[in-house]
Amino acid sequence: MDNNFLVIENISKSFGDNKVLENINLNISKSEFFGLLGSSGSGKTTLLRILGGFEKPDTGRVILDGIDITNLEPFNRPLNYMFQSYALFPHLNVFNNLAFGIKENFTQKEIEINVRNIAELLSIEHLLNRRIKQLSGGEQQRVALGRCLIKKPKLLLLDEPLAALDKKLRSKTQLELTTLQKKLKITFVFVTHDQEEAMSLSDRMAIMKNGLILECSSPEEIYENPKSLYTANFIGIANIIEIYKKDENFYSDDLGINFKLNKELKNTKTNILLRPEKIKIQSINNLKTSSFNSFSGEILEKSYLGSFTRYEIKIKNMIISVLDQNFNSNSNYNFPKGEKVICTWESESIKVLED
Amino acid sequence: MKNKLFEKYFVFSPYFWLVLFFFIPLAIIFKISISVSEWGMPPYQDIFLFDNGFKINTTFENYVYIFSDYYYIGSFVNSLILALISTFFSLLIGFPLAFYIATSNIRLRNILLVLVVIPFWSSFLLRVYAWKIILQNNGILNLILLNLGIISEPLQLLYNQYAVIIGIVYTYLPLMILPLYGYLNKFDLNLIEASKDLGLNRIKTFFKVILPLSVPGIVAGSLLVFIPVVGEFIIPEMLGGSDRLYYGKILWEEFFVNRNWPGASALAFSGIIILVLPIVFFQILYSRWSQKIEI
Repeated sequence: MDNNFLVIENISKSFGDNKVLENINLNISKSEFFGLLGSSGSGKTTLLRILGGFEKPDTGRVILDGIDITNLEPFNRPLNYMFQSYALFPHLNVFNNLAFGIKENFTQKEIEINVRNIAELLSIEHLLNRRIKQLSGGEQQRVALGRCLIKKPKLLLLDEPLAALDKKLRSKTQLELTTLQKKLKITFVFVTHDQEEAMSLSDRMAIMKNGLILECSSPEEIYENPKSLYTANFIGIANIIEIYKKDENFYSDDLGINFKLNKELKNTKTNILLRPEKIKIQSINNLKTSSFNSFSGEILEKSYLGSFTRYEIKIKNMIISVLDQNFNSNSNYNFPKGEKVICTWESESIKVLED
Repeated sequence: MKNKLFEKYFVFSPYFWLVLFFFIPLAIIFKISISVSEWGMPPYQDIFLFDNGFKINTTFENYVYIFSDYYYIGSFVNSLILALISTFFSLLIGFPLAFYIATSNIRLRNILLVLVVIPFWSSFLLRVYAWKIILQNNGILNLILLNLGIISEPLQLLYNQYAVIIGIVYTYLPLMILPLYGYLNKFDLNLIEASKDLGLNRIKTFFKVILPLSVPGIVAGSLLVFIPVVGEFIIPEMLGGSDRLYYGKILWEEFFVNRNWPGASALAFSGIIILVLPIVFFQILYSRWSQKIEI
């Protein structure tokens, strides 16, 4: 696979004294669904706007399909941008919104055919004569998407594509978007602040913070093996434990227990990540506490979430989150608040955070 | 009960105002316009006579008189043309300014808005007079042009229709900019970016997106300039020459010089009808249309 389809090279951008992007490098493959994830102010939208041509980078280049597009105007770039607000033209109906970008170069008949095809693809044929004001949020999103796709772009940029939709519609649209993208094989780059959205849509994603890319990998890799403390905390629920070398093993003051790591460490002191679903929770009667990779604690809080239960367990100076899947059909299966329990995990589940 | 009255006051006060200061004066003007003129004070006869029993004493001769003399119609046409030209130039200058103000950052925007409004702080007469000083034969503009060697002798800039247009565009510009700004302020700049993204260059984007979506603001600003300019009296009086006669001037002369109140009233009433009817019609059409595109 050609992973140099979209090359972002040394991109930096400042607004006044405010450094928004610093030396961004990314390679994105053809037909990839790529996510830029970060909280507000991380520079993700600025990066997307640079790709769209709405901002000029201070340094660096953007190369799309072998062509340097850094200095091209938006109207000369073979890509399209879907705005968070959708930016549909209120003075035009759905048909003319969809046809807006192809009116120049197509005959009336070709326009008709193209609009019908794209409307069919997105199942919005019945809306073609509507005004934008008369559309629901989900319908507007489809029109915005259709207006871009009708141009058959090499690259589609999406700014928070699902943020304006309500929760139920969002998960449905997520699925549709990935299906559509796989079907059309257009490269998608999207921006989101929602980690679930990023995980479910992306083939690969980049975590951004303060104008830097912290990590770039598949969602699975980033969730399971985050490199930095920030990423570990940002994606999913994380138990972060500070440990230091003590004799042969590692010791945590906060928990008062020893950790066995199957890996040598550079530093004598480090943070480790233990995801809440990797921890097994058992009644204290069933087991004896071993001195390694287990602890006993007291259940402080619990929230029953249907398919699983989330416990907050107090051990010495720390509160550890544990997600326990509800295997049992008996609703009394859950541990009550205040119960003493034993938690265990595999050594492999412990991830060392180097940064 | 008291509250109800209070509410009613708020609902009806604009109507009250309209009746008191628009419809009643209009009715009085209409009444005078259909009375028979005579020498005396007031210079017209009552429309109801009671001396030999009740008699209605009206005439449409004043209307016949003003509509049969090109002097009156011509001046009205002159004023309409002046208003059209002035509105056009106000729009030409005002639109880019309003757009720039509406799209600049908040701090700059407030400064610019104050700059637009500042001329209102000094007297209207003084501002027009200032143009007299700028445009006169030994005025600043001629002086600059002379010193730059562009002209060898002073140009006659004052006392013609061009001076009138300059004066009007200058004075009425804020009335164009403010409503335009008020509308463009709500303009979603993403629409411009979306248009460019979809392949339209700047010029095409202007005509396909910015202009059609600015129509409500353009209409509001243009009406605010056009209507008062038709009746404008002071600026043509101070900056204009004898090359063109305007409606306001004729009206004034008819009232105060010729003391022909019925004729002047007929002129005023016709002017209002000719202006207001198309505008009302246009407004109805336009409000239907703008509902569809409201941003």
